[in-house]
Amino acid sequence: MPNTAEVVKPVASLMGVTKRIGSKTLISDLTLDIPPGQIFGFLGPNGAGKTTTIRMMVGLISISRGDILICGRSIKDHFEEAIANVGAIVENPEMYKFLTGYQNLRQYARMVPGVTKERINEVVELVGLSQRINDRVKTYSLGMRQRLGVAQALLHRPKLLILDEPTNGLDPQGIRELRDYLRKLCQTEGTTVFVSSHLLSEMELMCDSVAIIQNGRLIDVKQLKTVGDAAVPVSQTFFEVDNPEAALAQIGQGVIMEGGLAVDAVREEIAELNAKLVAAGIKVYSIKAMSRSLEDQFLEITGGEGIG
Amino acid sequence: MGEFASLIHNENIKIFRRLRTWIMLVLLALMSALFPALIHFTTNGSNVVGLWDSFRTTVTIAFFLNTIFTALVAADSVAGEFTWGTIKLLLIRPWSRSKILLSKYISLVIFSLVSTGVLILFGYGSAFIFSSGAAGISGDMVMGWGQGEYVFMLILCSYIELFLTAAIAFMISSVFRSSGLAIVLSLSIMFTKDIFIAIFNPDRYEWANYLIFAHMNLSNYVVSDTGPGGATLGFAIAVLAVYYVVFMAVSWIVFRKRDVAA
Ligand SMILES: Nc1ncnc2c1ncn2[C@@H]1O[C@H](COP(=O)(O)OP(=O)(O)OP(=O)(O)O)[C@@H](O)[C@H]1O
Ligand SMILES: [Mg+2]
Repeated sequence: MPNTAEVVKPVASLMGVTKRIGSKTLISDLTLDIPPGQIFGFLGPNGAGKTTTIRMMVGLISISRGDILICGRSIKDHFEEAIANVGAIVENPEMYKFLTGYQNLRQYARMVPGVTKERINEVVELVGLSQRINDRVKTYSLGMRQRLGVAQALLHRPKLLILDEPTNGLDPQGIRELRDYLRKLCQTEGTTVFVSSHLLSEMELMCDSVAIIQNGRLIDVKQLKTVGDAAVPVSQTFFEVDNPEAALAQIGQGVIMEGGLAVDAVREEIAELNAKLVAAGIKVYSIKAMSRSLEDQFLEITGGEGIG
Repeated sequence: MGEFASLIHNENIKIFRRLRTWIMLVLLALMSALFPALIHFTTNGSNVVGLWDSFRTTVTIAFFLNTIFTALVAADSVAGEFTWGTIKLLLIRPWSRSKILLSKYISLVIFSLVSTGVLILFGYGSAFIFSSGAAGISGDMVMGWGQGEYVFMLILCSYIELFLTAAIAFMISSVFRSSGLAIVLSLSIMFTKDIFIAIFNPDRYEWANYLIFAHMNLSNYVVSDTGPGGATLGFAIAVLAVYYVVFMAVSWIVFRKRDVAA
């Protein structure tokens, strides 16, 4: 997938990352670059390996093969330097329940240099927890803990923010706010956000690009062309052909589907692609314009196969 | 990358901001204060128990409780973070796992010193009040030790035993990530070691000399040159030191290497 990401240095690169536990391969040969200044989605059905990948990115579990670089530093060999650029939530944000929200944040503030009281208050304000920050976390709702989780991840102004299903437990207003301040963070501080989810419609609204993962394998990386805040549905064209594999080889992009190939293409390109296919001796039975939400595509790509 | 002292500060907060910790310290203080009073009121006038005798008895009993409480704190040290799920947030900071574990261990030792301090303070204070300064029946000297020195040596030996029990609990907590298992195993070693020595008597079995059970209680050496199986104090300390190093090495190796998928 050639794109502009090759010009700028990625904030994180996963290079042939494989995770094996016993005889089970949870992630196989995952290669992915996360370009800076983007909100990058990581989409996959339950059990696809999103959390497992994120655990490797933050050094919680070992990498069986391959390596992960964060700002050019290997998380394996230079853990402390690499992780200093990262703020993260891995699965549910668990906090010390016997401490207040503020005391929890102080815990993490002490572990990095340069986080002032003003910064803590600023972050608390940002996630909308000012009212309850001096209450013990045991009295918090799931959504409030989620907000506190985002707050602890932001404290040290990380270059890369990794959020594992951050909308889990948030109310519509909370989701909306999260989306807004992630966007703001991205634009004003240049923070790169890597966010996993299986809420597809969410990803469409939030992300600049998405990587789709299933059964521990990277299936596709898509750019979502955004206008303002709302993503324009990706327009695709479906070529019904006799030999989809050969058609894919000819065109060099697209997704093989039942009886044909779905290709990203604009109006002019369709005719050219058709000519190309015909010239290559591939029978084209029909050409259909498809305007679909990412959700449809996602279900098409990953659907049919169960969790596993 | 920041100050290591602030890691220890964090760990201290996690211990001392818990209600449980304060309940333990209050219980320990009450118990230490109660025993000299009990001794005072249960002995009649002709048979006065002196300050040091009263304090010594109190120390011996209260240290049981002290050891149990310290083992509880040690058991929660690593396993608690796994149970709470907070380990995921703790380990993604710019600190090596070794240093995080070290900060946990140091804060555990700090707790053990605080609780021992509470025991001594309340035990001695109460013994002082309830013994009316009488010399008591055991005279001025015990086997060449002054009475105060003798009690001090007993406290030192009891602390060493507590220190090792805590190290075992800490290791199990780090290896199995289960505070229940850590408490049960470490305390059962403490309570069954005498039975163990009785069955595998170091006098009869040469190899039993190398078991930690035979040497955890060093108080024999205060009044005698040889301990169980004719071992010398130097030998006993060497055996304990080797066990201690092994416990620590296992804790660190496992904590550094294992996947965190809580
Ligand atoms: N410790 C483990 N041992 C064996 N298999 C595991 C382990 N942890 C996770 N798995 C398996 O790895 C796969 C990926 O799990 P993972 O938690 O990464 O999925 P996910 O994409 O985060 O899913 P979800 O959307 O449900 O959060 C699953 O099939 C899971 O059963
Ligand atoms: Mg997950």
